[in-house]
Amino acid sequence: MPSILTLDGAPAELDVTARRPLLTLQVDGQAYTVEELPADEDGARTLLINGVPYTVWRTREGDRVHVKLDDAYYSVGYQEAVVAAAQGGNAGNEIRADMPGMVVEVMASLEAEVNAGDALLVIESMKMQITIAAPRAGVVESLHVERNGSFQKGALLLSLRALAE
Amino acid sequence: MARLSSSIITSSADFRRNYSASKARIADFEARQRAARFDRPARDVERLAKQGKLLPRQRLEALLDPGTPFLELSSLAANMAYDGESPGASSITGIGVVSGREVMLHADDSSIKGGAWYPHTIKKIVRCLDIALENHLPVVHLCDSAGGFLPLQSALFPDKHMAGRIFRNQSLLSQQGIKQLALVFGHCTAGGAYIPALSDYAVIVRGTGAVFLAGPPLVKAATGEIVTVDDLGGCDLHTQVSGSCDYPAATEQEAIAIGREIVAQWDRPAKWPAQRDAVEAPYYDPDELHGIIPDDIKRGFDMREVIARLVDGSRFHEYQPAYGTTLVCGYANLWGYKIGILANNGVLFNDSALKGAHFIELCNQNNTPLVFLQNITGYMVGREYEARGITKDGAKMIMAQSCSRVPKFTVMCHGSFGAGNYGMCGRAYDARFLFAWPNHQIGVMGGEQAARTLAEVKMRQLERNSGTVDQAVVDAVYQETLKAYQEQLSAYYSTSELWDDGIINPVDTRNALGVAISASLNAPLPDNRYGVFRF
Amino acid sequence: MLKNVLIANRGEIACRIIRTLRRLGIQSTAVYHFADRGAPHVAAADYAVELTAEVPTAAYLDVAQLLAAARSAGADAIHPGYGFLAENAGFAAAVEDAGLVFIGPQPEVIRLMGDKIISREFAVAQGVPVAPSCKQEGSLEDFVAGATAIGFPLLIKAAAGGGGKGMSIVRSADELPARAATASSEALRYFADGRVYAERYVERPRHIEVQVFGDGQGHVVHLFERECSVQRRFQKIIEESPAPNLPAALRDRICTAAVQLAAAANYRNAGTVEFILAPDGAFYFLEMNTRLQVEHPVTECVTGLDLVELQLRLAGGEPFSLAQSDITQTGHAFECRLCAEQPEHDFRPATGRVMRLREPAGEGLRFDGGLREGLAITAAFDSMLAKLIAHGGDRQESAARMRDALQELVLLGVDHNADYLGRIFAHRAFLAGQLHTGFVVEHAAALAAPTLDPTQRAAVLIAAVLGTDEFQRLAYDCPEPHASIGHWRN
Repeated sequence: MPSILTLDGAPAELDVTARRPLLTLQVDGQAYTVEELPADEDGARTLLINGVPYTVWRTREGDRVHVKLDDAYYSVGYQEAVVAAAQGGNAGNEIRADMPGMVVEVMASLEAEVNAGDALLVIESMKMQITIAAPRAGVVESLHVERNGSFQKGALLLSLRALAE
Repeated sequence: MARLSSSIITSSADFRRNYSASKARIADFEARQRAARFDRPARDVERLAKQGKLLPRQRLEALLDPGTPFLELSSLAANMAYDGESPGASSITGIGVVSGREVMLHADDSSIKGGAWYPHTIKKIVRCLDIALENHLPVVHLCDSAGGFLPLQSALFPDKHMAGRIFRNQSLLSQQGIKQLALVFGHCTAGGAYIPALSDYAVIVRGTGAVFLAGPPLVKAATGEIVTVDDLGGCDLHTQVSGSCDYPAATEQEAIAIGREIVAQWDRPAKWPAQRDAVEAPYYDPDELHGIIPDDIKRGFDMREVIARLVDGSRFHEYQPAYGTTLVCGYANLWGYKIGILANNGVLFNDSALKGAHFIELCNQNNTPLVFLQNITGYMVGREYEARGITKDGAKMIMAQSCSRVPKFTVMCHGSFGAGNYGMCGRAYDARFLFAWPNHQIGVMGGEQAARTLAEVKMRQLERNSGTVDQAVVDAVYQETLKAYQEQLSAYYSTSELWDDGIINPVDTRNALGVAISASLNAPLPDNRYGVFRF
Repeated sequence: MLKNVLIANRGEIACRIIRTLRRLGIQSTAVYHFADRGAPHVAAADYAVELTAEVPTAAYLDVAQLLAAARSAGADAIHPGYGFLAENAGFAAAVEDAGLVFIGPQPEVIRLMGDKIISREFAVAQGVPVAPSCKQEGSLEDFVAGATAIGFPLLIKAAAGGGGKGMSIVRSADELPARAATASSEALRYFADGRVYAERYVERPRHIEVQVFGDGQGHVVHLFERECSVQRRFQKIIEESPAPNLPAALRDRICTAAVQLAAAANYRNAGTVEFILAPDGAFYFLEMNTRLQVEHPVTECVTGLDLVELQLRLAGGEPFSLAQSDITQTGHAFECRLCAEQPEHDFRPATGRVMRLREPAGEGLRFDGGLREGLAITAAFDSMLAKLIAHGGDRQESAARMRDALQELVLLGVDHNADYLGRIFAHRAFLAGQLHTGFVVEHAAALAAPTLDPTQRAAVLIAAVLGTDEFQRLAYDCPEPHASIGHWRN
């Protein structure tokens, strides 16, 4: 089972295809050789990908891997295989809270058809209001929060189901 | 170690004839394998898909670490039994890498009659667990079986090495601290229910997985109780109430992911430190093996040419190169592992038998695993050789070989006839693994020899009884014997009966032995001890 | 001289104040909520007192607990930092009533400047320009006449409410009557009060502010201006001093106006007068912040003064003797606010944990942070992580130092805006000093993260996946000869 990572909101499949003579990984069907040199005192390491050197700092925090590759930062979503498999059945249906907060407004209504990008909820966290939009088209199957209710990070806010064919 | 120098001329007519014949054999072998693996009635495949089930090989691929080998065992078991009703003996066994650990895998093939166990299925599972026991390999069971195939119960239930042996072996594995994990994808009925129950860990898929001693129909017949599969032995019952299974999973993928994480928790007991050097690919192309194996069972060939295409750098240290030359002995490395090779280059004489016995003792002293490359017509017969003690010299070789403490591996390269099979570590001698090439033939004697012998016996019998010999009767005996032998001597018959651990393409021998040797090192080496040699 | 100062704050500003206290030989007392128990400001202070509250921010707002903490630690003064109680007149008064020194302005000055309407009227009274406005007192016709007198463009809105309801921009006298009528009817509908309000609408405004310092006896100086036009979601992210492309005469007028206002208020301690600067050079008083500003370091860099030291010396009773002529502006300084946020998602705040931190260091660089590796970044507090300050001989050198510093910085474990800031510092309009408060919106496309080509994307994903134990084991924890054999089926 390949590992599924997300970068900029798009999923990517990664897997090992060979380990000798060089580690070879497949990223969305494309093969890359990888050599990891040991990290220096500073924690920076050189990664040779298809022989091209990259300077990398990285760390794991929660379900994100934070990477500084050369001069830019990236935040990549990663879940352990068991966690990913447990949610695999309905990925994209569940909208969960990225952070703890409070519900300011509920625009979604049960059984309503929504398009990708439609505003579903407005939440407030850290003094900022954030609009939660539908990640894809679907039908609002369940709402797990109400106006002025609070929630914790990771809480299920809303579930969608696929539109009937 | 010096590289062997090959005297094969790849452009020779002989080589090319052998090559194309071998390639045709491989094509036939692969076609049989493909059919055994994938030809399934459409309705069975549809039924599994409807249940949301993966096919057993899809489960295996998902469970295995990507980019690693899987050594499948006995892929053509039962290929000549039950009119082909149980391809692969309705199960898949083999050694693979899961979460970085070498494990034995056993999967029921639910795409064949609901994964029902035929007698050969049981033989295959028992053999797989024997291998796990001998080599201290953890086992992952991928369970999805309707239970024993009831019409053949007498051939699968009562005897020592039948169904009960599976659970006996599971118990002994546990006793020896060898871990087992059961992933329950489908039904584990009757005896099959003990597989998860006797495993250290059991994961069960909600909705499709079920474990019970008797399914709903049998329960109704026995007690009149009407109960659903889920209520009787489903995921929630076993993970929440009975405790017969440990982890619930919503999907097969989740069960596999949980299983992989369970295996990732297991310790890695130290292997015994076999001598291992840097790996070097063979200098000579293993593909040339096809041109070396004669198209005719009676034709000999120099086994050094085979060795040169199996071992690291084609390097070989030959022991006693000038003595007992019909048995080639010596050291080589295979995937880095130091091995001692015994390879037949003709019939075994007194000196070759003594050389073999001596070399086996050397390897036992040196903790060097033994690889037997068989192409043997037997020990030399006749008055002269009996007088020289060929029987007691052969016995010495059998004694040394039988009592070997180092792991042994046998490859049936061509022919294996008569007592030579014993000295060269045939199936009875507990080779950790025994593989056969598709051209291989095995029997107490060759087909023509047997036909001639039996025709001779018939002629004498006719002479004794009636004083006359009806040549037509003798000829019929000859032909019948020859035909029966030809069928039973074939590698496909052997492998169907699980007299080996599978037919392999000769070019795969190096990888198969590499995985096998690595597996064998998990079990500790016993002390060096022999019986009484007759001198 | 003060002996022990309690800092009624946390994070980088608490650390920054402690640094000066230590240099001056004054003891420091930190306060902290349980959630901050491992925070660097707690470790940096000589004493630390825990405050209790269910919500962490409430602890730092609890006047009674703060005063009790000051008593128990033996503090003789309280520095409020910025945010929390820094501009709470009641707190300042309570501190003084408790016999402690409040390091900041007099409570009545805080109260005066804290009220938008009163402070605006105060500014008008002192001759400090405010944006011309007109509130409907009588008929709509009178309002239209008054509004027309202000000039265009105009912003009109409901007098009673906010939230953008009934708000519109009017660019000419022709459209004013109709728009005023519409606004009035909407105002009536939404707020049950049909009166409308108009003020001069400044397009492409700049945010210019002046640092002032007074002794509370009428002596007030300015420490020059800061430009804080680069803002996102109405919050500053880059500040600098001096303001680029600001004619000297105009700057003097703005600074003089600021001093004038502060002096009139008899201002004590450090404060900041904020202005809106229109493209035509007109400037209007916005508000006065009666505290140390987040962006005070840029002023410190160009003036060579330690504002916290000035605050402490004054609070400790030393006379404030700095004359305006003593204060000079040398070189150019930038400050970047490093925030835990996702610029590509509308600057949504981010949470996480500081897992790896390499602070940039070097000539002209200053990193004001309250961070350490392992520190949790939660939603409980403000999203600002640290401030990066660069000082150089001129704007170009300072910007180059900032760019290098942003690249040298390594801060992993929480999403932040360092790359985004780096892109601003590479943007031509920014480097040309073409700033206004809508800068990040105007250049949103150019400032967006560049799209990754497939190779770069793969490199990021590979670097990331190898940063997980699970994949590391999968890649490297494979027995031999299996790893060498690789994928093989027989």
